[in-house]
Amino acid sequence: MIENGVAIDDSFAEAFPMKATRLIITAHNLTWALNAAVSATGFATSVIACGCEAGIERELGPEETPDGRPGVSVLIFSMSGKELAKQVERRVGQCVLTCPTTAVFAGIAEGEAIALGKNLRFFGDGWQISKVINGVRYWRIPVMDGEFVAQETTAVVKCVGGGNLLLLCRDTDAALAVSEAAVAAMKALPNVIMPFPGGVVRSGSKVGSKYATLSASTNDAFCPSLYGLAAKSEITPETRCVMEIVIDGLTEADVGAAMLAGMKAGIALGSAGGLLRISAGNYGGKLGPFHFHLRKLLAAGASS
Amino acid sequence: MSGWRLTLRQAPAVRVDLRGVLPAALAGLSSAQIEQVPVGHGNALVPLGEFFTIQSGGNDDTLAFEGDLSRFDRVGWQMASGRITVNGPAGHYAGGCMTGGELLVKGHAGLLAACEMTGGQLTVEGDAGDFAASTLPGSVDGMRGGTLIVKGNAGARFGDRMRRGTALVFGNVGDFAASRMVAGTIGIGGSAGAHVGYGMRRGSVVFTTVAPPIAATFVPALVEAQVFWQLLARDLARHGGPFTQLPKRAIERHLGDLAADGRGELIVAR
Repeated sequence: MIENGVAIDDSFAEAFPMKATRLIITAHNLTWALNAAVSATGFATSVIACGCEAGIERELGPEETPDGRPGVSVLIFSMSGKELAKQVERRVGQCVLTCPTTAVFAGIAEGEAIALGKNLRFFGDGWQISKVINGVRYWRIPVMDGEFVAQETTAVVKCVGGGNLLLLCRDTDAALAVSEAAVAAMKALPNVIMPFPGGVVRSGSKVGSKYATLSASTNDAFCPSLYGLAAKSEITPETRCVMEIVIDGLTEADVGAAMLAGMKAGIALGSAGGLLRISAGNYGGKLGPFHFHLRKLLAAGASS
Repeated sequence: MSGWRLTLRQAPAVRVDLRGVLPAALAGLSSAQIEQVPVGHGNALVPLGEFFTIQSGGNDDTLAFEGDLSRFDRVGWQMASGRITVNGPAGHYAGGCMTGGELLVKGHAGLLAACEMTGGQLTVEGDAGDFAASTLPGSVDGMRGGTLIVKGNAGARFGDRMRRGTALVFGNVGDFAASRMVAGTIGIGGSAGAHVGYGMRRGSVVFTTVAPPIAATFVPALVEAQVFWQLLARDLARHGGPFTQLPKRAIERHLGDLAADGRGELIVAR
């Protein structure tokens, strides 16, 4: 299958169930809401060593937030509800509670509740005040710029993590341009984040390693520096730079929609823009329950 | 199945205790059975049919009273679900210990309306007597949840020992409003009598129109608490009346009562 000169592999991305929550961070102005959100979603590219995958979903206008101030909605994904609760508490405690003028609210109402301000309230050293407004409990914690308001809990939902696209490109310039365009198209969609730096990861991995202690290692088949050396290579003399985009979404449909948007953005640039082939990472289909077939996504996108 | 309509025959000689006459309790009964439901009349138990003519009518799980029920106490007492409408005044303890459902009193309510309520909503379109949203004599906590709306005025000790929930008065309140308040929200659309917030530990009392006399045991707050105020004001605004414009208004706060815990606040909209 070739679209605008881009070969689409008959392959699929294999994704896994995760647990997620959405937080609404508001502040006196958008700058400070973003400062808190960027900080709270920092060092959250992969659950392997960060504990969670997190990103900014979108910016919110004053009319969209509970307190009528500008805000940012943030999605945080983890492998278990327990780990998610730990990450939320640490990140909100260190990055939102500390950030000037912020307040934090749950962005998802339905689901198992985990602590948001519930434990952070003890920072108030007894001066904290609980307030139940229309059935929702908030904590008001005195801080040096006034008070930090945090909803007591946020809800955890089941979600899908690890949707991905592999963009095989002519060279570095083309690979960056294509992946930037794809990430921009995906960022326009709700309910998804691309957790890696700028949304893009260059160190795609395969399962397993020659070292017994490593469960994953570099995806040698896609490394241009190993062309001719590795036993099996996907690299050709024309495709010399490969980027991967990883997508976490609240539902299977959200991840599929983001992958489709990314592919379309890449195809729009086409082989003239340096994108030669689109593939996806999987583990043979035995590990993850969610399979996103590239050609099926494009076919469904074309018919709708 | 449908609801029931109870029309008062004539005012009783002594006070009647209507506890147990609830939509859920009457739902499975015939009108003949409802006439036999015993209610307290002075120190005797008298069939309900002595006081009311009983007709079916209205939606499921509803109960409507027609007439002057000012001698009938405990309308909606411990109600958990359904809807009661009193087309006229109600006696004492209206909506007392309610846990859910809705009670609408189209006239005045007597003493202790919504006392120790934990859920649901009581709306009094006329005035409420003393000790509305407060505590039964001897209890530690007053209103513990739910919503009380008084569209007229309320008497003294409004919200005494209140712990949670929302109690709003569109008009004036008497002396000792929010006395010994533990937490929760009180909104007052008119003026308040003396000793507002006497001994209050926590909780918020909002004044939309008239600043109350504030005791020396409260201190002015330097910070507006804008986030909290927007959350609260937007919730109060949906009840309408003098609360409608609150989210657009700036506030000043007074913190106290320092003679008690001191974490309560009197919020005056400017």
